This record gives sequence, C-alpha cells and structure tokens, in this order.
Amino acid sequence: MVTMAIARQTLEDMLRRKILLILLIVGVGMIALGPSVGFLTPRESSAVLRSLGLAVILIAGLLITVISSIQVIPTEIERRTIYTVLSKPVQRYQFVLGKFLGGIMTVFVMIAAMGIVFLGVLFWHEKAFAPDMLKGVVMTFCQMMLLGALTIFFSTFAPPVVNFFLSFGLFVVGNLSTVTESLTSNRNPVTAILAKIVHYSIPNFGNFNMQNKLIHPEIVIKNETVFLTQNIVYAVLYSAVLLVLAILVFDKREV
Amino acid sequence: MPVALSIQGLTKKYLDVWNKEEITAVDDLTLEVEEGEIFGFLGRNGAGKTTTIKMLLGLIFPTAGTATVLGKPMGDTEAKAQLSYLPENPYFYENMTGWDVLDFYGRLFRMGEPARSRRIEKCLNDVRLDQRAWRRPLRGYSKGMLQRIGIAQALLNDPKLLFLDEPTSGLDPIAHAELRDIIVDVGKQGKTVFLSSHQLPDVELVCSRVAIIHRGKLLTTGPLNELTSGDKVEVRAEAVPGEAAEKIRTLGVQIEQNDGRVRVPAADPEQVNDIIDIVRGHKGTVTAVLPHKRTLEEVFVDTVLKAGGD
Repeated sequence: MVTMAIARQTLEDMLRRKILLILLIVGVGMIALGPSVGFLTPRESSAVLRSLGLAVILIAGLLITVISSIQVIPTEIERRTIYTVLSKPVQRYQFVLGKFLGGIMTVFVMIAAMGIVFLGVLFWHEKAFAPDMLKGVVMTFCQMMLLGALTIFFSTFAPPVVNFFLSFGLFVVGNLSTVTESLTSNRNPVTAILAKIVHYSIPNFGNFNMQNKLIHPEIVIKNETVFLTQNIVYAVLYSAVLLVLAILVFDKREV
Repeated sequence: MPVALSIQGLTKKYLDVWNKEEITAVDDLTLEVEEGEIFGFLGRNGAGKTTTIKMLLGLIFPTAGTATVLGKPMGDTEAKAQLSYLPENPYFYENMTGWDVLDFYGRLFRMGEPARSRRIEKCLNDVRLDQRAWRRPLRGYSKGMLQRIGIAQALLNDPKLLFLDEPTSGLDPIAHAELRDIIVDVGKQGKTVFLSSHQLPDVELVCSRVAIIHRGKLLTTGPLNELTSGDKVEVRAEAVPGEAAEKIRTLGVQIEQNDGRVRVPAADPEQVNDIIDIVRGHKGTVTAVLPHKRTLEEVFVDTVLKAGGD
C-alpha cells in the first residue's frame, strides 16, 4: 500500500509536469501528422509511417524516461518534501520502489498514448490492424524500463547533470551491443577484454531495437516468441538488480 | 513518568571537504523527554537543533551515540507510526490540493477508508483551515495556510510524539497566535511535543521543560520555572526621597526611580534588610518584596553568553 501510494503520487505529479506533456503532445502530433507527408508508393508510405512512428515513440520515450527518472528522487530532497515522507512509517526501499514505479507508470502512460495513436493512424492509413507494431512499442517500453532503473540507481548518489550524462552515455553504448559483441572476439586481447567488460556489464539496450525487423519483412527473427520473452525477462531482471543496488545505496544516504 | 525520548551521547560530525576540517554539529548530547510534556529545544541558528531532530527520525545518521524514540531505536518504522514531524518551512507537493496531500500522507500511515477521510476532515478543522481552501492546489496557499497543512499532517496519525521545528517562524501575528494555541491544545491532549524554536516568548508560554543547545553542546536543561526563578529578590517602595534612593544605590544594586517610587529589580537577599532600613529610615513605605523571576530570554542570553556565544 505504501509503495503504491508513493507510486501513485509520483505518477500524478509527473503527469502535471509541463515538459512531459509537451513531449507527449509533440510525439503524438508527429505520429498523427505522419500520413500528411507525400509518398511515392503505398509500400514506401507504409514503411515510412511505421519507421516514423516507432522512432518518435523511442525518442519521446527516451526523453520522458530520462527527465522523469533523473528528477524523481533529487527533487524530493531538494524541495525537502522527502522529510515529511520518510518521517512517516515508510521504509527507504518502499520510497525507492514507489518512485521507480511512479516514473515507469508515467513512461507507460505516455508510450501507451503514443502507441494507441500510432496504431490508430496505421489502421486509418492501411485499413488494417498492424499487431506487429505493438511488439515494437512493447520492446521500447521494456528498453525504457531498464533505462529508468539505471537512472534511478544513479540518482541515489549522483547529481542530476552527472546522472544525465552517465545514463545517456550508457544508453548510447548499450545500443551498440552488436558492435561491442563483435569486438569481444577481437585479435587484440586488450580490446577483447575491454569489449567483454563493456558488453557484459552495460545493459544491452540494442537487444530491444526491433524496428528494422518490423519494418523490413525480409528480415526474419528465427523464434520471435523466444526473442520477445528473453528481452522482457532480461529487462525485468536487470531492472531488479539495479533497483536492489539503488536501495542499498539509498539506505545509507543522508537526506 | 515514562520516557518518550532518550538521547545518550548523540554526536554528529560532518567533513568540510573544501576546508578539510571536521565540523561538529551535535556534540555528545544527552537528554530525556518525558511522556506528555511540551519540551522546548532552544538554540541559535545553526546550534544543531534540526540536525538532532533529523537524527532522531532516521533521516541522517549519528557519528556516535544512541537514542530511543518511544522506546524504539532511531528511525524505527514502528515508532514512526506513532510520531510526526513538522519541518522548518515545510514544503509539500504544490500541485496537490490540501485534501489530496493529507490523503497521500494518510495512505503512508496505512489508513483505510472511510477512517482516512474522517481523520483528514477532523485535522483540517482542528487547524482551522478555511474549508474553501481544502480542494485548492497548495501553490496558491499563503505561508500561514501551508503551516496549517503542516500541522494537520503532523496530527493525522493522532501521534504520541510530535517534533515541531520552528512551527511559528515567518507567520503574521494572528496566524502565529492561532498556531501557538493549537500547540497548547495538542499538549492538553497528553501528547509529547518536542518543540524546537527560538521564539522564546512562545516557548515560555507553552513549554514545561526546556534545553538550551549551543554549537551542538547541551548547555542546560530543566523545568522552565526552575530556570527562570532567580536567587534575587525585587523590592518595591513608595514615598522614597531622592536622598534615600542615592543611599540604596551605594549598596551596589540597580534601582529604578519614578516620582518617589523605587524598584530594585535584582537585589541579593542579604541586601534586602539594608534597603528596607533605608526606606523606613526616610519615612518611605515598602510595598512589596518579591522573588525576582527572569524571562526565558534573559536565561537564554546569559547561558549562551557564558558558554562563549557572541
């Protein structure tokens, strides 16, 4: 009850933040205006719309996740609202979990809103439902959940500016997981070891990118169900580990 | 009387990274607060009052020492269910309404409905917050209204122990007096109040016992009437000629003189007979011999100055 109360309060507070609402409106607007762009062929038009929709959801989701997760704990400390919360019968782990869940629920609501508009626009344009695109939206959400957990972990000890560069930097490196994976078998042993460290310690955000596979039907995933399940389990487990670390750090932090 | 708060050797040191020196915010503080008393915790700005409260609530951790709050260790969740805290200049979620913010805090106390709503309504009425403001966002509240929300959230769980940190600072005189009355009402309900303040007239009105802290060190503690009662005596007399007043002055005491009336506010008991003899010898009339009571402000200033305060 306590964790959910904090999550609910965080969600309500986030949904009132103008910057997040602006990002949502811009995202939804770009997806909705997609069909107004002129296209050469119907096939090209569909590919561009799908590509645009998924890219907008990814970028807007990324910004919404980073902004909401970076601020969520430091703002409580800076505004001293944390005093009246932690002086109540609230365990510190409940506070961290509540803040994470509130942030992720915000991201979920926003990605879901953009996803619904995206699927609606595709349905209107193609006169058919495109269930495959839903997989892309779900993968983007999982990617953002993992990023949210990483950002919350950093926010327990790093100031927001440092957190931004750390999280964003790791997100970029983590998206190059195919590159780091290929470097693990490099002839140079130093490069190979470094690549292994990077590849196995940094979250593999690149695993969740299935835009290419969804837009180009010629790219086939061998076992899609396994691929999706693995990615969801990976996101949940990795997030759980990051949250445990965040709780351990926050437990020792003075506020 | 059972003890609500017991502090033993509590110490908090910070490392000043820039100057590479250790700062002692609270220094070996030992103190007990009994259940049901309104306890004044006095000190100048930066004396260590807020740091002490934050340690007791588990918001920060002591460098040394221990304390029990309602019989539990500092920061214990079970104890926190029975206490409350009003921070200095409290900040709340400004987008939430007064009602919603209390509803949120009620959930943190695991209160279910409809008890939660009933309790919120009672607390808002107790702190005399205008009903029209209940459903308005806090960003539109005045400082006095926010302070009332602060007190309301501190009363929400019907606590046994309240930590109030400068609850009346920055308020207009009416709001100030009303909030002081609310604290008195809380005390009458048998709750323990740990009142950190430098509003000494307020403390003098509401507290039964006080402690004075300076640079983290406890200087003195005791019942208010013991601390303010002096070992000096005040002598008042009428129809005292100027010549007699001069003689009294030669005894080395301070004297206030006005149209034949004299007041010697702080005479040593052994000087009293001499003063009376001089007054009678000059056909004057002694009207009163009273024990001289110091104000809390005098006690505070004397204590801090003696400890090397500037």
